[in-house]
Amino acid sequence: MKDVGLLPSALTTLSRRGFAKVTSTGLVGSSLLTMLDARRAPAQIKGTTLRILQWSHFVPAYDVWYDKFAKEWGDKNGVKVRVDHIPHLEIPARMAAEFAAGSGHDIIYNGSSILTRLYYKNLVDLSDVADAAGKKYGGWIPAARSLVEVEGRWYGLPIFYILAPMLYRKDLFDQHNLQAPDTWELARTAGRTLKPKGHPTGIALSQCADANLFWRSIFFSHGGTEAETSGANPTLDSKELREFLRFAKAMFDEGMTPEVFSWDDASDNRFLASGIACWIHDAISAYRTTEDTNPTVFKNVILALEPQGIPGKRVSVAAPNVWMVWKFSKNQQAAKEFLAHLIDNDLEGMVQSRGYNMPYLNDRYKKPMPVIGTDPKLQILQDFPKIVAFYGYPGPSTTPIQEIVNTFVFPDMVTRVCRGQNMEEAIKWGVGEYKRIYAKHKGA
Amino acid sequence: MTATSPSGSDAAGARAPAVSLDVPLRPRRWFQSQNWQRLGFGYLLLAPAVLYVLLLVGAPFLFSLYLALSDANVGNPVASFAGLENFRAALESDVFYIALRNSVLFTVVAAILKGVLGTSLAFLLLQPFWGKKIVRGLVVIPFTLPIAISVLSWKWMYDSQFSVINWFLSRIGLIGSYGSADWPIWLGQPYLALAACIIVNVWRTYPFSAIVLLAGFTSVPSEVLDAARVDGTTFMQRFRHVVVPMIAPILLIGFLFDTVFTLSDLSIVYLLTQGGPANATKILPVLAYQVGIQAGALGRGAAISLFLFPLLLPLMILVLRNLKRREY
Repeated sequence: MKDVGLLPSALTTLSRRGFAKVTSTGLVGSSLLTMLDARRAPAQIKGTTLRILQWSHFVPAYDVWYDKFAKEWGDKNGVKVRVDHIPHLEIPARMAAEFAAGSGHDIIYNGSSILTRLYYKNLVDLSDVADAAGKKYGGWIPAARSLVEVEGRWYGLPIFYILAPMLYRKDLFDQHNLQAPDTWELARTAGRTLKPKGHPTGIALSQCADANLFWRSIFFSHGGTEAETSGANPTLDSKELREFLRFAKAMFDEGMTPEVFSWDDASDNRFLASGIACWIHDAISAYRTTEDTNPTVFKNVILALEPQGIPGKRVSVAAPNVWMVWKFSKNQQAAKEFLAHLIDNDLEGMVQSRGYNMPYLNDRYKKPMPVIGTDPKLQILQDFPKIVAFYGYPGPSTTPIQEIVNTFVFPDMVTRVCRGQNMEEAIKWGVGEYKRIYAKHKGA
Repeated sequence: MTATSPSGSDAAGARAPAVSLDVPLRPRRWFQSQNWQRLGFGYLLLAPAVLYVLLLVGAPFLFSLYLALSDANVGNPVASFAGLENFRAALESDVFYIALRNSVLFTVVAAILKGVLGTSLAFLLLQPFWGKKIVRGLVVIPFTLPIAISVLSWKWMYDSQFSVINWFLSRIGLIGSYGSADWPIWLGQPYLALAACIIVNVWRTYPFSAIVLLAGFTSVPSEVLDAARVDGTTFMQRFRHVVVPMIAPILLIGFLFDTVFTLSDLSIVYLLTQGGPANATKILPVLAYQVGIQAGALGRGAAISLFLFPLLLPLMILVLRNLKRREY
């Protein structure tokens, strides 16, 4: 008869040293999980210093709150916390410098350009923190995993993303008997109708984050995909791409002006606040800016769900924000503790950012959500998590995708078509760039 | 070697022959010679500068060469030799050729404009007028302002909707109102966007050219100019045949510096357009930064940036040889 022991066979043959190693690892792991669960920081982190590299948020009040929040956590746990804020566009360079030097901050923030896959060998595995948070708050929204998961481990912690609804002028739509832009076709009709009346529309067609995000939303909503689900190969070249480009060209010609070729990420905010735009597709910063600068327009601005491309298909490409911990950090435990505490308070972060920060955890979407759940115009934002996607859809944010995003290949292809280049030539260029970049990363 | 008498008295010493022939002279070693000591001292004085150049110029250059020949990326410290693969990758991309063309165009046009404007400003500043010292101080302000602040101000002036330049042009009737076909979209129309970037570069650095030229002009002895005047030369003749040859070394060094700074300037284009629209303003430093740092492909980024080297090298050799000829 086979002897069936209580211990796995590997453990029955362990040496004393091996036994001590396994049990101590288990004890440390379980105590960390227990502490993470109970939100009680361990005594070992007392007297340490935690350095955090953080972006400068579009909502300055959030930064004030964040700094105070971090300091309070530090005071409570005996940790000296230092938060440095830099513009998010400078983060990749700073990250490269810190990695090369092997020193710098403990926690590092990534916004829009998520570099988890590039650095994962040098980042702390945060799966334990992510698992604990997932269990506690009903799991992560499906898109979260694609940002930070490499070989089954989470090397980053998604804390919030920034979504972009449609913002349209209800007064102008009503005056001209236009339907709310629930489909991209209706949005196009509105542009075509209102541009001659002095109210064009616009989506950036320049080298900025908005152009990268919003044109992809339209493409994906038309059934297009950027890469395979595994992320291994690009899937850009398709009939959906051709349909999308035809649509984009028509929407540009009929409803937009060449101004969009010069826009930065804040231009559409000003376009709406100036009272010119009939609709824009942007983060709610545009709504907030208008509230502060043009109350008359603000009164008439309505937020809508991502329009459908093909019937029933809505995909909203959002700007992700992720926190990571360097492997060279000497204070990894405090870093994990702080991130777990930050996740516990992500709803407060949402309040402090005036509804800008959208959480990744399912339970956070219990209606009414803070800020957006109480403002009738913003309530629609609560329905976005089901349709949120990120770069590389439906695959993960791979390193070739990051290069494609950072060199603006996708919006440049759309720009070429809108400027009048033959569509097939523009596709040949765009698909060629995708293939070239994928090949380089495969060869590396 | 000299020998003194055993008595050691001065008188005896004075009587003794100056050099004793029976004691052989110990020859000086080569490094004890006066010539070599002078040379050694010279090299000692040069050493800090050489060390500075080696550490701050040579080492980064060699490191970028190493990166360009490897498959290094920002997240992987262990790189393997990739040969010329990264250079081949750059040459395969048509964005690279656009960036190369724009870089050359940017540098040449900016250099011409800075030459013309800098010379004019330098002549203006030479003239006697009230408040000359204040004006001389004010003209260098663009050069001293933090680049991020000055470029963001320009970005506002180029705004597609609220451009103060367009507002002014519209008010004086040169263009129509906002929304009309002739309303310039500075950063949105390909040639205008590149011109806009060049204008900012020229605005920022032509005071430097003017100051360099001013220093040169003031070093020309007035007697020489007076003598030329007596000979009946015109202003242009004096400028071409007297002033320019005399200040040529300053001019050439200034030109070299300016070319290097302009060709490798990342900030202006990056802050204004990031290389858009559709790569119309993409220059090599911006492309290298986007590929090497933002996308993490250090090897390919380094290879793109090294293409600046063969562009600059012939120019540097020409200028330095010209300078050397003038020394003799």
